[in-house]
Amino acid sequence: MNNMDPKILRHKVENINTLPTVPAVLKKLSSVIEKPRITIVEISAFISNDPALTTKVLKMVNSAIYGFPGRIASVSHATMLLGLNVIKGLLLGVSVFELMQKTMSGLYEHSLACAIASRVIAQKKNLKEPEEVSVAGLLHDIGKVILTLEFSKEYETAMKEAEEKKISIFEAEKNQFTATHADVGGWLAEKWRFPRNLIEVIQFHHRPTLAKNAPLETAIVHMADLLVRARGFGFAGENFVPEVNAVAYDLLNLSDQDIKDTLREMEDNMEAAEDMS
Amino acid sequence: MPKIPVSKLEPGMVLAKPILSKNGMVMLGEGTALTEKWVERIQDMEIPSVFIDGPPVQTVSREEALANLEARFALVENKPLMSLIKKLVQEHIEGLYE
Repeated sequence: MNNMDPKILRHKVENINTLPTVPAVLKKLSSVIEKPRITIVEISAFISNDPALTTKVLKMVNSAIYGFPGRIASVSHATMLLGLNVIKGLLLGVSVFELMQKTMSGLYEHSLACAIASRVIAQKKNLKEPEEVSVAGLLHDIGKVILTLEFSKEYETAMKEAEEKKISIFEAEKNQFTATHADVGGWLAEKWRFPRNLIEVIQFHHRPTLAKNAPLETAIVHMADLLVRARGFGFAGENFVPEVNAVAYDLLNLSDQDIKDTLREMEDNMEAAEDMS
Repeated sequence: MPKIPVSKLEPGMVLAKPILSKNGMVMLGEGTALTEKWVERIQDMEIPSVFIDGPPVQTVSREEALANLEARFALVENKPLMSLIKKLVQEHIEGLYE
């Protein structure tokens, strides 16, 4: 069993632009969104200058992930409506699609379904900006992408261990790497200058009681992740449904109908969501 | 009421929601049964997907779906909250095969 020093791991993650396994498109995006004072105008231009990217972004904006009633036809409308953080998150989401398919088959479906479920639950809890929770749902497992990219053999071992010992991939990662995909995701979110709340949701979606700034949002993605696994959409490292965190469950106070509505919304939209490439 | 990508549309499918033109006018109403011609017309427009009547098409049988559900919950089904969640998911899945 490998016990990697988390400091080394963190250093690698924060310097993903130097990692040979990370594709150029992600490096380019990373350097754009990590700029300290990037403006909406700059991001908008970045997207508009790439017709393929524009198409993907608009497709996602108009999808069940965000659930907007009308139709958003332009990048400037999208950026105005969603704001900097959501657009950054969305950009990442569309850009890592192929990478997710390559590193862990089924991870993209899992992430999409989680984004949809997160948005539905956030709306049921009357959150002012359910789109922000959608983004967290979409990116909650992004740490797995970097781990599998940079440490593919070790990650394979972790996945095997999870299956054989019937433990979560989260636990298996801890055994292999000391840190988990939640930690890695949190470091990435920090590097990319996402707001504190989003960083927390990604970092603590498996242990929601540790979220001090955004307990409700973290509980939402925790529950969304669980429901996606319960329904069996996609694949995120192993096929076990985790035990729900009782505190998070109580905090959400979802009715049976709320849960069924969330399942229904995912079900109705997954086929279309797979067309998002 | 699944949302189907337009590439997968087939004649006979019934619209669950109207298809609107770019300026918001109803082009094809709710309840329209699509013909081959209309499928082609829709595919020519720049719409990614449409809502179709009926439950989402399932790729596995009901038995397999429920067996998979059991397997996924095997480690947690005795925990109190989890058996409720499992019941709700099971009812959801069964609803897809009616």
